Amino acid sequence: MNRTPADPRTSGDDARPPPRPPGLPIGQRSIRYHRPRAPFCGIGYCTNCLVRTDARLNVRACREGYPVDGVRPTSHAWPSPRWDLFAVFDGLFPHGIDTLRGFRRPAILVRAYQRVVRRLAGYATPRVATARAPAPPTQRRACEVLVIGQGTAGRAVADELRRRGVDPVMTVDRDRRRSEGAASPDLGRATAVFLPPPDPAQPHPLRCYVARDVGGLVEIASRRVVVATGGYDASLLFAGNDRPGVVTADGAVSLASAGFSPFSHAIVFGDGPRARDVLARFPREIAAIVAPNEIGPDLVAIAADRGIPLYPRSLLVRAEGRRGVRRVALRARGGGPLMTLEADGVVLAHRRIPHPQLFFQCGARMRWDPRPGAYRPVTDPTGATTVPGVYAVGFARESAVPSDAEGGARRTAEAIAAGAPPPGPEPLAPAEPLDPPHPLLGYYRELLAELGGREKWIACPCEDVLLSEIVEANERGYRGIEVVKRYTGLGTGLCQGRYCLPDALLILSILEGRPPSRVGYITQRPPVVPTRLADLAGIPGPEEGPS
Amino acid sequence: MKAERSEYRVVIVGAGVIGLYTAHHLARRGAGPILIVDRGFLSSGASGRNGGGVRQQWQTRATIRLARESVAAYRRFARDFGYNPWFRQSGYLFLAEDAAALERLGPVHELVRSEGLSSEWVDAAGVARHVPGIRPGAAVGGTYLGSDGTLYPFPVVWGLHDALRAAGVEILHGIEALGVERDGGRVRALQTSRGRIATPTVVNAAGGWSREFSERCGLAVANRATRHEILATEPLKPFLDPMVVRASDGLYFSQTMRGEIVGGLSPLADPTGSIAMSSSAGFLGRMARALVDLLPGLASVGVLRAWSGLYDDTPDGLPIVGEDPALSGFVHANGFGGHGMMLAPSSTERVARLVLGERIDLDPAEFGPGRFASTGSGRPTEALQLG
Repeated sequence: MNRTPADPRTSGDDARPPPRPPGLPIGQRSIRYHRPRAPFCGIGYCTNCLVRTDARLNVRACREGYPVDGVRPTSHAWPSPRWDLFAVFDGLFPHGIDTLRGFRRPAILVRAYQRVVRRLAGYATPRVATARAPAPPTQRRACEVLVIGQGTAGRAVADELRRRGVDPVMTVDRDRRRSEGAASPDLGRATAVFLPPPDPAQPHPLRCYVARDVGGLVEIASRRVVVATGGYDASLLFAGNDRPGVVTADGAVSLASAGFSPFSHAIVFGDGPRARDVLARFPREIAAIVAPNEIGPDLVAIAADRGIPLYPRSLLVRAEGRRGVRRVALRARGGGPLMTLEADGVVLAHRRIPHPQLFFQCGARMRWDPRPGAYRPVTDPTGATTVPGVYAVGFARESAVPSDAEGGARRTAEAIAAGAPPPGPEPLAPAEPLDPPHPLLGYYRELLAELGGREKWIACPCEDVLLSEIVEANERGYRGIEVVKRYTGLGTGLCQGRYCLPDALLILSILEGRPPSRVGYITQRPPVVPTRLADLAGIPGPEEGPS
Repeated sequence: MKAERSEYRVVIVGAGVIGLYTAHHLARRGAGPILIVDRGFLSSGASGRNGGGVRQQWQTRATIRLARESVAAYRRFARDFGYNPWFRQSGYLFLAEDAAALERLGPVHELVRSEGLSSEWVDAAGVARHVPGIRPGAAVGGTYLGSDGTLYPFPVVWGLHDALRAAGVEILHGIEALGVERDGGRVRALQTSRGRIATPTVVNAAGGWSREFSERCGLAVANRATRHEILATEPLKPFLDPMVVRASDGLYFSQTMRGEIVGGLSPLADPTGSIAMSSSAGFLGRMARALVDLLPGLASVGVLRAWSGLYDDTPDGLPIVGEDPALSGFVHANGFGGHGMMLAPSSTERVARLVLGERIDLDPAEFGPGRFASTGSGRPTEALQLG
């Protein structure tokens, strides 16, 4: 599993930059309400640390290395992200701005509304360049097997394939450290952005498009693709869930790796292995552990050892504080008084979600996995998906302890090395749909009763879509995630639904009174992460001419 | 969901903008009861997948008039329906990459002006004013009509949907129309995946699936669905006002209210004729090359997502509006070829009048479903298949 993005200026864990004073690095304002934002995910997906460099717009500071000299936050704030006059909109519209029905009266002002709203939208203006920049042509590579992701499982597959003489094996990874020495030849940090369905007429039926961090696209043709893209820590719904100081476990670890102390007394939300990871990484900075359910004995032991108070079976209702988290309000599940804890951070460590994009893109049959509450590909015991030649290993395939992930990865490598013909689309038994309720369903059912105060509950942080807007769409009779997405704009921002979708599926399941797997899913469209036009322009294709 | 009644005055197949607007005009005229059936979810077809352009520059007088009425309707839409489609009349710019292309724009320009619209010739400097950052030499000029514009398609769908429900029109999703039951040469009922619904009138407003439905009813039609792809970039600060189109390769793009550059390109001929709504690497490459070539400053801008939708194309580029000559009570409102959102408000008003047995001002030789049977040359065509 990929967890810690590397600082590109360092080559390994030992060469960490010197510690910085506590606090979060770069100010940012949200797109609609100009709410203060600070790094959240730390792994290059959320909208909260966008910066622009001389060469590129909207890159993430968490991947470029914070804070970078000569780099400006990408922001539409005025005069600065720290002191932003437009933030009055947040206070003026405590229940949100209705862009669907608002701004249409009086008719004489409509053009003025349009000008103002348009002015406020968008992140940055592209540099005016009048010369045709040479687009880097797409490099073309071919290999026997492409392994995407070099976490525990991805490395195990690549090593085992090479040991068994499969040649050549290529690997790509978003995190450079894991690619070093493994990629042949090394592409540096690179993200697989598009895996179209295979073309059986080609000797290498699979073609994966990979965007390199340094620029340029690589088209890797292969006979097999092993997807080992792991997962990421999910978001959580509560009032003020976008306050600076609310971070995922990934984000907290990533910030610490970059030399920041993101908080001095934070609460951890979650009771699983990710919560233990956070406690191990932050030995002194955790002030309390809050969990939606009972807390397991091993975590109880660690907490007792360090004198950390535990709040099992609790609702995290609200994070308070003007610029960053100062207090956190909890309520025991099943009712009870509101409790307030002093805290300057909230670490979300309750739920890990697999990356499904590449599987959806190539047309693999998916199943709803109720344990993380997410979609995973249907696979046979070797990890083969319903798409010939595409395999899933590690967390992308199942939630298991890492040793199992390695074992599973080895079985996949064995099957590929043995030359087992890729199974066709039919031999796999449909694994539909075991639908035990997700543990958070009951939690959110209780939490929805708290909705309606003066603090915004952000359901989609990229686009500032509020939870109340999802409820409203439901009240108007719109059913299913696809329609709610189009009605509210949920999932259409820079992260393309990574952080809003997992919770939105559970909320819609509650509102619509049917299992999450029946709520549907947003079509996963290429590219997996925003990909520069200059890079895409290099994709070879039929010459265009007048049609 | 199941239909509330066993018999309807009109059943409309397709809950896209054409079907919804047709029902709206019917309901306003007091025709009822009305049922709309759709195989997917609301906005799952082209009405939720288009680029939102609304233009009045066309090659035939009748289409220019329909488009003008539609522009007027979209100007009123927020007032009439309570939903704001953010209709922004910031113009359409037809780019000409060379002198020959400029010359080809002439007849449209003349026709549009003769209809009283203020289409203007723009020289290379004018193009650069409308499209800041355009590569010098990328265009020698073009035509510009400032009252054309863009809108958000979704609020149009929601507004119509709300109004129709308030008017008592039933809209059912997840129902497949399988065919019609005939009584001699007349429609007697619609057969669906949920059973039979009696009605004397079926309107085929199924967009990309309308050919399939017509064929299921045993009718020979000339329209055919083609897959078009489109992409959206990261949101940028506003720098581009008009919708920019280029006839030679069908390139079109505009900057939305949110700041994204949204646009597409005419597809290359696809020998497979696939209408699967998937994305292709080839399109991403072609579109990115076209955009970066025209606006080199966009090179560093990221593409957020690409998607595809179906154009319901006809051989002459004009929609099919009229009763089928072989089946009385079967009304075509299809073949809009990627222009459904642009022409919906006005053309569906004619559909509604046809359903009610009134005369309409559209020449059957130009819009009727029977026009393809005659081999008459000199029939008007619309070759501008642009966003």
